[in-house]
Amino acid sequence: MAPPAQSSRYPSPSQPSGKGEVSDLRLQLRQLAGSRAPGVDDSKRELFKKVISYMTIGIDVSSLFGEMVMCSVTPDIVLKKMCYLYVGNYAKVNPDLALLTINFLQRDCKDQDPMIRGLALRSLSSLRVANLVEYLVGPLGSGLKDNNAYVRTVAVMGAVKLYHISASTCIDADFPATLKHLMLNDSDSQVVVNCLFALQEIWNSESSKSEEATREKEGLISKPFIYYLLNRLREFNEWGQCLVLELVAKYVPSDTNENFDIMNLLEDRLQHANGAVVLATIKVFLQLTLSMADVHQEVYERIKAPLLTLVSSGSPEQSYAVLSHLHLLVMRAPYIFASDYKHFYCQYNEPSYVKKLKLEMLTAVANESNTYEIVTELCEYAANVDVPIARESIRAVGKIALQQYDVNAIVDRLLQFLEMEKDYVTAEALVLVKDLLRKYPQWSHDCIAVVGNISSKNVQEPKAKAALIWMLGEYAQDMDDAPYILESLVENWEEDAPEVRLHLLTAIMKCFFRRPPETQKALGIALAAGVADFHQDVHDRALFYYRLLQYDVSSAERVVNPPKQAVSVFADTQSNEIKDRIFDEFNSLSVVYQKPSYMFTDKDHRGPFEFSDEIGNLTVGVESEHEVPATSVDANETSDLLLSTTEKEETRAMVANGSDYTAPLYDSSSRALPSQGQSELAITSLLGTSDPGPQASMAIDDLLMGLDLTAPPAPASAPPSLKLNARAALDAGSFQRKWRELPVAISQECELSSQGAAALTSAQALLQHMQGNSIQCIASGGQSPNFKFFFFAQKAEEPSVFLVECKINTSTAKAQLNIKAEDQSTSHEFSALFQSALSRFGMS
Amino acid sequence: MPVAASAIYFLNLRGDVLINRLYRDDVGGNMVDAFRMHIMQTKELGTCPVRQIGGCSFFYMRISNVYIVIVVSSNANVACAFKFVVEAVALFKSYFGGAFDEDAIRNNFVLIYELLDEIMDFGYPQNLSPEILKLYITQEGVRSPFSSKQPLDKPVPNATLQVTGAVGWRREGLAYKKNEVFLDIVESVNLLMSSKGSVLRCDVTGKILMKCFLSGMPDLKLGLNDKIGLEKESQLKNRPTKSGKTIELDDVTFHQCVNLTRFNSEKTVSFVPPDGEFELMKYRITEGVNLPFRVLPTIKELGRTRMEVNVKVKSVFGAKMFALGVVIKIPVPKQTAKTSFQVTSGRAKYNASIDCLVWKIRKFPGQTEPTLSAEIELISTIAEKKSWTRPPIQMEFQVPMFTASGLRVRFLKVWEKSGYNTVEWVRYITKAGSYEVRC
Repeated sequence: MAPPAQSSRYPSPSQPSGKGEVSDLRLQLRQLAGSRAPGVDDSKRELFKKVISYMTIGIDVSSLFGEMVMCSVTPDIVLKKMCYLYVGNYAKVNPDLALLTINFLQRDCKDQDPMIRGLALRSLSSLRVANLVEYLVGPLGSGLKDNNAYVRTVAVMGAVKLYHISASTCIDADFPATLKHLMLNDSDSQVVVNCLFALQEIWNSESSKSEEATREKEGLISKPFIYYLLNRLREFNEWGQCLVLELVAKYVPSDTNENFDIMNLLEDRLQHANGAVVLATIKVFLQLTLSMADVHQEVYERIKAPLLTLVSSGSPEQSYAVLSHLHLLVMRAPYIFASDYKHFYCQYNEPSYVKKLKLEMLTAVANESNTYEIVTELCEYAANVDVPIARESIRAVGKIALQQYDVNAIVDRLLQFLEMEKDYVTAEALVLVKDLLRKYPQWSHDCIAVVGNISSKNVQEPKAKAALIWMLGEYAQDMDDAPYILESLVENWEEDAPEVRLHLLTAIMKCFFRRPPETQKALGIALAAGVADFHQDVHDRALFYYRLLQYDVSSAERVVNPPKQAVSVFADTQSNEIKDRIFDEFNSLSVVYQKPSYMFTDKDHRGPFEFSDEIGNLTVGVESEHEVPATSVDANETSDLLLSTTEKEETRAMVANGSDYTAPLYDSSSRALPSQGQSELAITSLLGTSDPGPQASMAIDDLLMGLDLTAPPAPASAPPSLKLNARAALDAGSFQRKWRELPVAISQECELSSQGAAALTSAQALLQHMQGNSIQCIASGGQSPNFKFFFFAQKAEEPSVFLVECKINTSTAKAQLNIKAEDQSTSHEFSALFQSALSRFGMS
Repeated sequence: MPVAASAIYFLNLRGDVLINRLYRDDVGGNMVDAFRMHIMQTKELGTCPVRQIGGCSFFYMRISNVYIVIVVSSNANVACAFKFVVEAVALFKSYFGGAFDEDAIRNNFVLIYELLDEIMDFGYPQNLSPEILKLYITQEGVRSPFSSKQPLDKPVPNATLQVTGAVGWRREGLAYKKNEVFLDIVESVNLLMSSKGSVLRCDVTGKILMKCFLSGMPDLKLGLNDKIGLEKESQLKNRPTKSGKTIELDDVTFHQCVNLTRFNSEKTVSFVPPDGEFELMKYRITEGVNLPFRVLPTIKELGRTRMEVNVKVKSVFGAKMFALGVVIKIPVPKQTAKTSFQVTSGRAKYNASIDCLVWKIRKFPGQTEPTLSAEIELISTIAEKKSWTRPPIQMEFQVPMFTASGLRVRFLKVWEKSGYNTVEWVRYITKAGSYEVRC
């Protein structure tokens, strides 16, 4: 593998540029190659060091290949190692020259020193040149039978390497069986562990092809084998133990006695100095007791102390990894750490990623008994120098307030924040007070008194300003000067963000209904400014209000300011199913990323296509015209899975939108409109605007598409033989059903134009483009560079539909299409049409 | 799947590659580029030690002026990956003789490549034990890797037999003229005290460090005055528990050499030690911590431009003991213009780069209470109202022969079949961990 060539872009005075030095080295190497003078090895060492250091910093020294190989005939083991390193690095780019090395490597594989045998075998298997594998099988075979354990450990890994270069060669040589034999019988623990590594890898990828491999793979978690490993566990080093424990966690004991036997056997592992072993043990305990509720609780008690130790010892990075796991556990069982909350107090010098997780922990463990202390502590952080952490801690106070029933004291704290006179504190606190009022309207009196004192001039952040304006509108009757504050805000119309302007319109409307004479002037100005606004949503809302008022003021009031119910529960961001999946992947990256592994590991490595997962992974189509999208898909699941693929905020807005309209399920941090009943949502309408505007309203528009959408432009250059219905309709449920029923008609790869690839920064862009070509999107997802879409289209004359799964990688500008068609005969025409549409993307 | 690292990189702070070792082909070539582009050159750096870019996950740690980056493409075990880095660094340090930084890496890069080959194969961790590796990775670091005390015999030339043995941490056939064991109990006290003087959080993390120069295969047994151990002992010997202070350990972890089965049944720490230095056990205590110092600050803001700071520090350990290297950092506002102070002990100065008054007392006897009183003049500013957030006062110290937990070694027994005599040395020291007092 060639080292990165870019380091020339970061030139540093100490790093030579290359050319001259390389030819210099070549000369010197040649001189030394044949020499047998005493001390020649030392000068060789110096030269080799130079070569390796050039290689590391990215200078291409592959041209020295021949000379290096010539010099490598030496008994000096350090020299040999350097040479092996060099060869391993460049063999892949110089397959022909690599052949030169085979000879001496093979000879070294037969050396009498096991050290050299091992090293040579490792280098030989690391060449990664496909047409040299024939030379590898022999040495590997004898390596696996070597009487020295070191050579065997190397040979075992060599077998996996071979498998990755050429799976068939590895299988044909019957290495898996040999490895299995070694795994079960070898006296050396490292050989056993390496066999386990190797066989897991081989059988995992073989199991899709052969049933035997599947059986073997399942054999790894069979009772005899697990017991065999457990009995040898103490021989293995810490890394081997991690591996074994990971496997044990997958084992399902046949009865509870077995459960307890395993746990008793493993209990001392909780005292292991290596945190990874401790976490792996904890995973075993948790998995084993999943079905035994009371024992599961005892396990939580038992693992508490080791986990807290891991948090407080080790580097911040390690604490971070452990805290992520703690957070997962605390979500499942909030009470376990309730009395240990002090462990999550932040230290002044901790990195912010640790602090952030600690704040989340404090929020999660808060209950009736410790809320006071926790909130007091969080308030200390509000004055923190680290502004993001200060903000987080204010948000944490708010979250606790929304969890608790006794919010008396917390409200006071929040109100104190408002008086701290720090811009960001005020901003965060305003947003929180707004959410609090939506849940506990009974507090309005206290809050409004304080909020009324805040000068709107000190509030700059759109989110906070919007919150303030919302409160002004909502409690216009309780704040004497609400109309005047709103009026002064209207005067600075242009300066505010669209989000704020939208809120301002609504707030003034609400104020107007309560105190018409005082507000009338402001309303007039606001509506005029709104109708003239360049922002589509603001414009539309103003126009809508204007017409509504024209039609009938009392109806307008019913629409804009209906009686509201307090929000009882704010939407949870993750469904239980997802949480369980993450829990199953305890002790892995999933926990850190807070999403199941299938969402972030490469999709191509995954097993067979599972539709239900896929659709869950994608956003509900935003641009299509089908009636009430996605309501037939389980709304919760879909939206939860979305978290990974789109910005959280967008998603949350959609959660509320897609799931249940009448229940005001809004997330506190969402920048969507505050829930004001269905009516207010029905305000904006998208007129094919190119600027998608805030995501929240996008999702809304979706529902109203049918109302006044002008027909999208006809396909620009569709082949005449196939015409598509520009207003095709299909709901997600029937899409899903059809996708399952229909066979894949065409599966192919096509190119994207480079402009297209560049323009594809978000899924939305392509959706609009394709819609212009009468191809609708039902679901989309992914992040740059990998996107995935599900499209559908309908023939103009008949109801026959086409379904397309399209995976686009923008970095390679390639798209992978899977087309399914109800009418097979036209699938090729459709494919051509689809591809031409896709290739035009980004051209305009 | 545990680690399965695709590549390991060492980068300096500028992003130059110091070491570049690829283990697997499943990631694209220029992962360093991705790391530089998306993490090093952005604000991302330091916001999270695990990041996903494309299909790959990056784990990175900064150690002195070097970033160590592990790239994986699968759903790796995070704890394992970080632990691996930590252990690897410890290994390198033991080879270089202490320091691990850019210079040490540049000077020893061939050695590092050799070690990287041995400690990880095809992305899977292998053996990271310095004891064993030193037997066959013989190319010495620039400085001598071995402590001044060399075993009398030469290592067996063919060491590979032991590379993977069951007692992976000790080789056979060691012989010393003088058999010695050094045992240090090192505790760090973490404290967070509110401005009103109440303890918000306090705990001790301790470790027992050992240095063994023992011949043969000795069996060691360590007895501490911890509660469980004592109770178990009196139970076994049918004696009532002795009165006197017993310590309740919240949680203990041991070096892999400790026989955990025996610990669980008999509650004694018995082990066959590795040769040389190692960390025998770590523990954590939250109850009954003896704080060595009390800090009593009073800070008065007199108008907009003047402040008065009075700090009294009280040492609460025995009068015969003394603390060393005491540093008290008292934060002051950024706009500090002039400071003047009086101290009853030690020396103080204003350090503008960290916005602190730094008060140093080299030798701080027990049961004393020196004070610092300072007057601070501020540059008057109009823009910022109440902008000073008052970070906590921080303290550093070391108190020899004192343990904040009260933990003591009751006995340390050495058995070896040849029956030689050993000399045992036991030391105690308490250091400040994160010792913070809000003001």
